[in-house]
Amino acid sequence: MQPIHLENVQKNYFLDKVQVSALKGINLKIDAGEFTVIAGPSGSGKTTILNLIGCVDTASSGKVVVGGKETGSLTEKQLTDLRLHTIGFIFQSFNLIPVLNVIDNVEFPLLLQNKQSPKERRDQVMRFIDRVGLTQYAQHRPSELSGGQRQRVAIARALVTKPQIVLADEPTANLDSVTGQNIIDLMKEINATEKTTFLFSTHDHSIMNQARRIIRLLDGRIQE
Amino acid sequence: MKVYFIIAYRNILQRRVRSLMLAASIVFVSVIFSLLLALVHGVQQTMIANGTALMTGHLNIAGFYKVSQSSANPMVTKYPELMKYAKENIPEADIIIDRVKAYGKLISETDSTMIPMWGVNMDQEKNVLGRLEVEISKDPNNPADLSKLSESGTLALFEVHAKKLKVGVGDMVTVSLPTYRNMTNTKDVKVVAILKDVGMMSQFNAYLNAKDVRELYQNKQDSTGQIMVYLKKLSDLPKVEARMRKEIAEKGYTLMEKESSPFWMKFDRVAGESWTGQKIDITTWEDETSFLKWIVSLLGALTFILTIVLSIIIVMGLINTLWMSVKERTTEIGTLRAIGMQKNKVLWMFLLESLILSVSSTLAGLVLATIICQVLNAAAIPIESDAFKMFLMTNNLSFTFGLAQALMTFFSLVIFFTLGSLIPAFQAAKLSPITAINQS
Ligand SMILES: Nc1ncnc2c1ncn2[C@@H]1O[C@H](COP(=O)(O)OP(=O)(O)O)[C@@H](O)[C@H]1O
Ligand SMILES: [Mg+2]
Repeated sequence: MQPIHLENVQKNYFLDKVQVSALKGINLKIDAGEFTVIAGPSGSGKTTILNLIGCVDTASSGKVVVGGKETGSLTEKQLTDLRLHTIGFIFQSFNLIPVLNVIDNVEFPLLLQNKQSPKERRDQVMRFIDRVGLTQYAQHRPSELSGGQRQRVAIARALVTKPQIVLADEPTANLDSVTGQNIIDLMKEINATEKTTFLFSTHDHSIMNQARRIIRLLDGRIQE
Repeated sequence: MKVYFIIAYRNILQRRVRSLMLAASIVFVSVIFSLLLALVHGVQQTMIANGTALMTGHLNIAGFYKVSQSSANPMVTKYPELMKYAKENIPEADIIIDRVKAYGKLISETDSTMIPMWGVNMDQEKNVLGRLEVEISKDPNNPADLSKLSESGTLALFEVHAKKLKVGVGDMVTVSLPTYRNMTNTKDVKVVAILKDVGMMSQFNAYLNAKDVRELYQNKQDSTGQIMVYLKKLSDLPKVEARMRKEIAEKGYTLMEKESSPFWMKFDRVAGESWTGQKIDITTWEDETSFLKWIVSLLGALTFILTIVLSIIIVMGLINTLWMSVKERTTEIGTLRAIGMQKNKVLWMFLLESLILSVSSTLAGLVLATIICQVLNAAAIPIESDAFKMFLMTNNLSFTFGLAQALMTFFSLVIFFTLGSLIPAFQAAKLSPITAINQS
């Protein structure tokens, strides 16, 4: 069974009582271990799709199945749990907790899950920090790191719970092209070794061409 | 758990100036509240201390004797039997004494005043009346000596009355007591001591020799006004009172119904009742000083109002500070919600921030208040205004800051502040995780 499955999904927003159709009937299946990019110009609906799959928003109609669960039928609490246990988020602006150092930031989702001993947790955190190459910065606060390093911390945080799915909305938008490329390389590498399903959006052509599968969005519709 | 604490703590540090200002104002309220509570408690303590020297035991075996339907004599006949009972059956008692009651006029050459008076037996009064401070006599030939009350024809009175009557130690005053035989008996007595005023209570007491009072009323030697029982531990009072009521009733005495007022406020009621003979009235220090209760209540109410007003101002500051914290951290909160933090944890995170601030600042305030109380008590600041002296029932400001006051301050402030911070904390918990993602 696919970790992500969208069936005839529509999403409408209302701006001053005027209906805006952001997604106009999306059908999409993503297999486990895929490395997929959602491409499309600004306003095409990339963020909206990722919000639905990321369980932070619900569809106006249609079916969204994530990790085997239909999100439309879940309560707010269950959606939060689903996010915690099946999804890893990488944000465009990194979104680390400013007052916590690298270790504490990466450890946070594990603390929320609360299913390991402190020792296991620490080991796993250090392994992922090592995986993104930041061992020597483990005690630093986000403000003491460069943009690329921060995004690496965010990747470690997204992956530390070993989620089925990692979602990233324009993860390289705030990075220069060389750093952005490094981040994509890191994600590709982890995808190859850990078999995590990656789904990320971008409007940068040089980056979208590196994905195994490209979903092209235009005006709320898929153009495959 | 620990991580929430770290987040809350570091966020407080992050916003140092704002947090410090808030903390300082919480310390301030905590100190003010503590000091006011300590003052109220101090007044209460003074009231017990003075009241029990002036006019009441912790517990009293008092009562009225009616020779006719319309009379009312505040006395206990054949008291030695009750005295024996008290001495043998109240092991909780520390001191047991008796005083004769009188109500009448003191007349000087220039003025007169109507007051309740006590006939005392100085053999018993060393640790009771003897606790009061005596004014130094202005006349070197007549030094003040309270113990002279053991002689017949003597009087000790408070400054307030001495001033009104314009008498000093050695001067003569006429005591005039209306008796139940519808006669008025008088006797000239010499002032042997003038007692330092202890606030409002001073106005309702003066002291004569017990034998003189019995003579004036033509009472028998085996009658007295009341037996006054002082307990070793005040906390034993309810227990002992209940037992006394039961045992004295079992001895065949008729007990009066409990009424919280001093004996001189019961005359009219008792005189209007149709029974005759002896009834026993078991009273407590609280009953006898109840006419002063309003002072403590009023002080308590003032404390309460002042603290509420101050707290509301501070709570608004606290809410505002947390509010700003929530606003500045919308993305952070959205992120935490997106990666799987439940709403109640967000709520808890912000409550923890407010708890750290309010608990630590309130505690700091308590420590400060304790020190201030010690310093102020050591300085024994005299109260200048006569009105305040009367009202606070003491001549020096005295603060009693104990565990009860500390706990009261701590819990009321922390609970109040925590309730206030629920508002921004709920706002934070309501933030949507979408805010973390939609930011391009
Ligand atoms: N909260 C919203 N309210 C109203 N319209 C929105 C909202 N979010 C997105 N839209 C609209 O939906 C469409 C798709 O937006 P979005 O998914 O953000 O596109 P992209 O991420 O590809 O730039 C746009 O027309 C946008 O204006
Ligand atoms: Mg977008």
